[in-house]
Amino acid sequence: MIYLDNNATTRVAPEVLDAMQPYLSEFFGNPSSAHALGREMKRAVEQSREQVATLIGAADTSEIVFTSCGSESDNWAIRGVLAAQPQKKHIVTTLVEHEAVRNLCRLLENEGYEVTWLGVDQNGELNLDHLRSALRPDTALVSIMLANNETGVLFPMEEIGHIVRENSQAVFHVDGVQAVGKIPIDLKSTAVDLFALSGHKLHAPQGIGALYVRKGISLLPLIVGGAQEQGRRAGTSAVPNIVGLGAACRLAHEDNNHERIEKLRNRLEDEILKQIPNARLNGVADRSKRLPNTANISFEYVDGQSILMHLDQAGICVSTGSACHSTTHESSPTLRAMNVPYTAAQGSVRFSLGRYNTEADIDITLQVLPEIIAKLAAMSPYQQIRV
Amino acid sequence: MHREAADHFFNPRNVGDASEPSFTGRSASLRCGAHVRFSIQVDEAHAVSQARFRVAGCNVLVAAASVLTEQVTGLSTAEAAAVGQKPAALIEHLGVEPANAQCVEIACEALLDAIRDYSNAVREDWAGDEALICTCFFVSERTIEREIQTHGLTTVAEVTKACNAGAGCGSCHQLIQEILATNDLPR
Repeated sequence: MIYLDNNATTRVAPEVLDAMQPYLSEFFGNPSSAHALGREMKRAVEQSREQVATLIGAADTSEIVFTSCGSESDNWAIRGVLAAQPQKKHIVTTLVEHEAVRNLCRLLENEGYEVTWLGVDQNGELNLDHLRSALRPDTALVSIMLANNETGVLFPMEEIGHIVRENSQAVFHVDGVQAVGKIPIDLKSTAVDLFALSGHKLHAPQGIGALYVRKGISLLPLIVGGAQEQGRRAGTSAVPNIVGLGAACRLAHEDNNHERIEKLRNRLEDEILKQIPNARLNGVADRSKRLPNTANISFEYVDGQSILMHLDQAGICVSTGSACHSTTHESSPTLRAMNVPYTAAQGSVRFSLGRYNTEADIDITLQVLPEIIAKLAAMSPYQQIRV
Repeated sequence: MHREAADHFFNPRNVGDASEPSFTGRSASLRCGAHVRFSIQVDEAHAVSQARFRVAGCNVLVAAASVLTEQVTGLSTAEAAAVGQKPAALIEHLGVEPANAQCVEIACEALLDAIRDYSNAVREDWAGDEALICTCFFVSERTIEREIQTHGLTTVAEVTKACNAGAGCGSCHQLIQEILATNDLPR
């Protein structure tokens, strides 16, 4: 199997599994317990906290709080900020956020909040002047992702942070789920207040996330109960998963695969765009402004879901922005916000690479894909591509 | 999706356009962005001699359209229309999940649209003494009027029940409605 869907989830790294194993067997204690077993669990949790803090450049390990997933981190960040300053009723976010942010902000609109939705241009980039003019004295929160999950387009987190800091009193939350482990991040040198991440995007298991909470940021808890995580997030710590996340962060930090992955992605992207008629890149062409592992490409006039099924039969895993494939029967909001023509958005395929991809994976994909697209294009009812 | 459906997706039958003169029908779904085009050729006995399709859509739509082309080839347009009117049968036959029912429905709709294209052309070209209304079951305007007057019919459904007119592709429903309006005598 050739797995090119690493933005959806990743394989648990063997190193991560090894690190977790003892905490699924002999070390089964509760880190809140005072006895030796509990103390060992606590030690492991604190070591993981340090590993997470190191990877994202937090100034202090106490700024890392473990959660169950990226969506919980995003929900907590947003709800927690709003609850802490109930007099402020304005939020600034973008149209291309992950559902965890986008759908929550839609919900908040029904709860009496006013949301300014920043759009993007056809390259998927923000206009920072729009952000500047959206900020108001009553803006409670600015929530803007670091890397888009579909296109890999990066938003300039540092610059955005400065703008938010200089022009408002708003708290700045970043959904960093798709970026962590793929690009260097140093939060202490930014004006980021809150930053969400998720383990399973970087070779930790599913079911573990974290929220970075800058010292001094007041955030009401989302899950109330025991005094775990310094009283900020109740619930018995999922120690095996926390250890897994820590190990994955260490692996990403020490990793020397990034350049190799980027080269593979570049070759895949270049060759597809060169070889296949009616193929177009979604997202800014300048690769320094995109994640190094993602290529989102539209094959116009054919359907992404059909492409996906044919690739699947060839043992290649990808994602599509086609409306037909999604459970909501809605074409990708990111591509729509970018004004990608409907016939192209329907044929969009996301290739997202990871540390276990090889040159051979790319060779085979490049061998199989052109035939699939040719076959589907020959079947297309759109007149444009008929010869 | 059953194995047969998967087979039709990976090896679609009858892709392309029917030879001229042909009749075409289209359907699309704004909801899921799919687009399907059917073209049929009909022989002198009013039987579908060739059915072809084109699709930009999901695997279910491709499979449904491919299966339909096989099912309707050789059938009279009235029989083919009956197939098109029963997407539920095809949904069950292919083992399609309820969430994807619409993909089968739009394939059926495109088939019906192609048959209507044929029916409208036949009606236009009809040179008989009496105006032909239902081309699937060959029912003339006079027959329909007689049924309406004899039995005091007031709806298209009643007309269809009485003389089969309108039971096929449905292209004549508007015409039957107009005949009903003209014959709407005070009772």
